[in-house]
Amino acid sequence: MAIATEELAGGITRVILDGRLDIEGAAAVDLQMNVIAGSRKAVLVDLQKVSFLGSMGLRALVAPARAIKGRGGKIVLFGPNELVEKVLKTSGIDTLIPVHHELQSALAALQ
Amino acid sequence: MTGNGTDEAGDRLALRSRLSDIARLRPWIEGLASRHAIPENVQFAINVCLEEALANAIRHGYGGAPDRPLIVHFTTPSAGYFVFAVDDEAPRFNPLDAPELPPLSPREEIRIGGQGLRLLRRFADSLEYEPTPAGNRLRIGFCAAVPAVRPK
Repeated sequence: MAIATEELAGGITRVILDGRLDIEGAAAVDLQMNVIAGSRKAVLVDLQKVSFLGSMGLRALVAPARAIKGRGGKIVLFGPNELVEKVLKTSGIDTLIPVHHELQSALAALQ
Repeated sequence: MTGNGTDEAGDRLALRSRLSDIARLRPWIEGLASRHAIPENVQFAINVCLEEALANAIRHGYGGAPDRPLIVHFTTPSAGYFVFAVDDEAPRFNPLDAPELPPLSPREEIRIGGQGLRLLRRFADSLEYEPTPAGNRLRIGFCAAVPAVRPK
C-alpha cells in the first residue's frame, strides 16, 4: 500500500492510496494518515487505486475521519471500486464519510 | 491442533494468534484461487470474511494472547462452492448469536469496529458455527457463479 499527498486549491489535501487496504496496508499508512488528520482540515481520500478494503482498513479511514471532524474539518472518499464501496456501505462508513464518484462533487463537498 | 504452515495440498493454513499473522492469508488465498479458479469478486469476499473472523478470534476469543493456534481449512464440497473452516481453541463463543450492530449513523460518534458480523453476513454466502472439543469452528462458505453447461 502506497500513500501520496497532493495539495489542491482551496486548502484541500488529496490523499492518494494505492494498493490493498488490508491489515498490512492499514499498518503501512496509519502513521501518515494520522499526521494528515492532525494537520489538515479538508481532506479528499482518493480510493481509485485501492483494490481491497477489509475491517482493518476501515479503521485506517475512520480514525483519521474522527480526528478531522473533531477539529471542525471535512473529509470525503473518492472513487472506490464496486467491492470497496460495498464494504463502505455495509459498515455504514459511507454515512459518516461521504463517498463521491465525481471529482468535482467531492471537491465541492469540501468547500 | 499442531503445525505452523500449510499442508502438502495447501488446503490448510496454520497461524498463531497474532494480528501480523493475518498477512499470511493473502498469498494462501491467491494460491487457492489459482488452483481452483476462484473469481476475483469471490476472492475479495473471502479476504474480507477471513480477515474479520481471524481478527475477532485473536482479539476477543484469545483476548490478545499471542501464540495460540488458529487453523483455517479449505474445502470445495461442490463445484463453485468454497468453504473455509476457522478453528480456534478459545472459550466457547458463537459469533452468530451476537446481535448485529446497526450500521453507523451520522448522528452518533464515530465508532471503530463493531461492524465485523455485518461484514461477514453480507460477504459470505453461508455461515455455520459449531463448538469443538478444543474450542470453536466457524464455517464460512462462498458461491461462485458456475457457467451453465451448454449441450454440444
